[in-house]
Amino acid sequence: MTYKDYIKWHRMPTTWCPGCAIGTVFKQLTFVLADAAVPREDLVVISGIGCSGRAAGYFNVDSIHTTHGRAIPVAEGVKRANDKLKVIVFSGDGDLAGIGGNHLIHSSRRDVDVTVVCINNAIYGMTGGQMAPTTPEGAKTLTSPFGSAYQPVNIQGLITANRRHWYARGSAYQVLHLQKLLREAIEWKGFSFVEVMAFCIENFGRRLGFRNGYEMLFKLKQDYKIAFKPEGPLKENELGVMKNDGQAG
Amino acid sequence: MKQLIFGNEAVALGALRAGMTFFAAYPITPASEIMHILAEREHEIAFVHAEDEIASIHMALGASLAGRKSMTSTSGPGFSLKQEGIGLAHMMEVPLVVVDVQRVGPSTGMPTLASQGDIIQAAHGSHGDYTAIVLYPASVAECYRYTIEAFNAAEKSRSPVILLLDGLLAHLSETVDLEGLAVDVMPRTLPPLGQGERHFTGLLAKDGTPRTKNPGYYREWFARVKAKMLEAAKSYSFSELIRNERADTLLIAYGIAARVIRPLRDEYSIFRPITIFPLLEDELRAAAAGHKRVVVVEMNDGQYRGEVQKALLREVLGIPVLGGAISLSEIRERLHDL
Repeated sequence: MTYKDYIKWHRMPTTWCPGCAIGTVFKQLTFVLADAAVPREDLVVISGIGCSGRAAGYFNVDSIHTTHGRAIPVAEGVKRANDKLKVIVFSGDGDLAGIGGNHLIHSSRRDVDVTVVCINNAIYGMTGGQMAPTTPEGAKTLTSPFGSAYQPVNIQGLITANRRHWYARGSAYQVLHLQKLLREAIEWKGFSFVEVMAFCIENFGRRLGFRNGYEMLFKLKQDYKIAFKPEGPLKENELGVMKNDGQAG
Repeated sequence: MKQLIFGNEAVALGALRAGMTFFAAYPITPASEIMHILAEREHEIAFVHAEDEIASIHMALGASLAGRKSMTSTSGPGFSLKQEGIGLAHMMEVPLVVVDVQRVGPSTGMPTLASQGDIIQAAHGSHGDYTAIVLYPASVAECYRYTIEAFNAAEKSRSPVILLLDGLLAHLSETVDLEGLAVDVMPRTLPPLGQGERHFTGLLAKDGTPRTKNPGYYREWFARVKAKMLEAAKSYSFSELIRNERADTLLIAYGIAARVIRPLRDEYSIFRPITIFPLLEDELRAAAAGHKRVVVVEMNDGQYRGEVQKALLREVLGIPVLGGAISLSEIRERLHDL
């Protein structure tokens, strides 16, 4: 098996804009699935609504494209119905932490054995560029034309509030590191969450003054540093893993 | 063996008899006992007390796709929240049973008092056009039987089937002989997840590929799904007609209201739809034939009356019984005043 076996080639090209980060992350996950030799018939990929939500349909496995915010409960139902399935949720920050936020809190608390890959581009891209729960304070969007008045949601904090947890932050630039995170996430028994710092050039970046996707990718490189042994919670500019098997602390 | 059980209990036992192995719900009066009873079976079935109504129906949907007969239960406020998942199950063609034990609304309303106010919501509560199968029993034995039939209809139609109860029926205790009730149980019809490459989506799609800008395909798709639903519903068209040859008035009632007006059969003909949607048009016409007046008695402001009138193309009168209180004497009086 190679990564190509996990992609529905007849669905290509994707709906994603040129310069988008989602495809990069999508491909890293297919690399990891091939490396881990996950049988296609054991794998189910589930998405919600939004640009990232289209990903489920591009995986060459049984997949589900749910309504907005409901990828996690559908995934929990699938996993509890058939424990043999490897269940991966691939969706966006607005879908998972905004409209689906309640499910994120509770499925992670119940520690159901699914892996969630969250593309965090800090914006509602598909609907034109509205403020997301992850939008940085002060950022101008269609629904925060004078700059967002709010702090972005702390997803790391939500997940690690559970005594037993597995949370990682990666980026669409540091792809080898991201592959390691994804591999560890799918092998973790229990709820695992990978927040992938990404970007949206068409419906966010251009309003912020970026000229193309490459500039946004380069910004990720500048902004984020890998913390191999983080002391305490990951700082805002750190990538890495926060985990607790529930035995310690 | 005869035993004394109540409506909600019969629903839980019927679901188990039908082969349900996944149940997710959120507590709500007057439906909670279904949850309590199934929680006791946690070691036999997958049971989830979910964080909310929306989660529970989506869990049931996921579990059904993964191969288990699945159910969720609720009352009006939760039924409103579940409409999102009901629409998704229609779009994805997923078998599912959704139980709605009706109470007085809108909103939080009168939680402990029974109503039949969710009739139209049961058929049209989710946005867009779709064809729903809705069953409404009227006794504890029927709660058991029609829960099983709801699962059968869900498999046959590959759709979310709605089972309506009301707060009175849910808490009504009767002696029933469950083992003695012969009901066929339909096996699963949807191949479970893990087949390789199917894509289930809430978007309009053809063979898993979205077709979101193609009105022509939408019409073709809609016609296929509607025909499928109506064909499946034919096997689950349940009703009861008590014809009184001396009566010039036909009463139509369902669920608990039908129970209450049963003594009126000496003066009136009574038609009781059990499958309340799709509308039993042929049966309604046959029942109405030969009667000067048709009167729908229901615990709402005339929701089913409008549907019956559409089907019969003649004036249909109604006795709306509101506020969670129903009594035979009141209905008798209002019938005389019509």
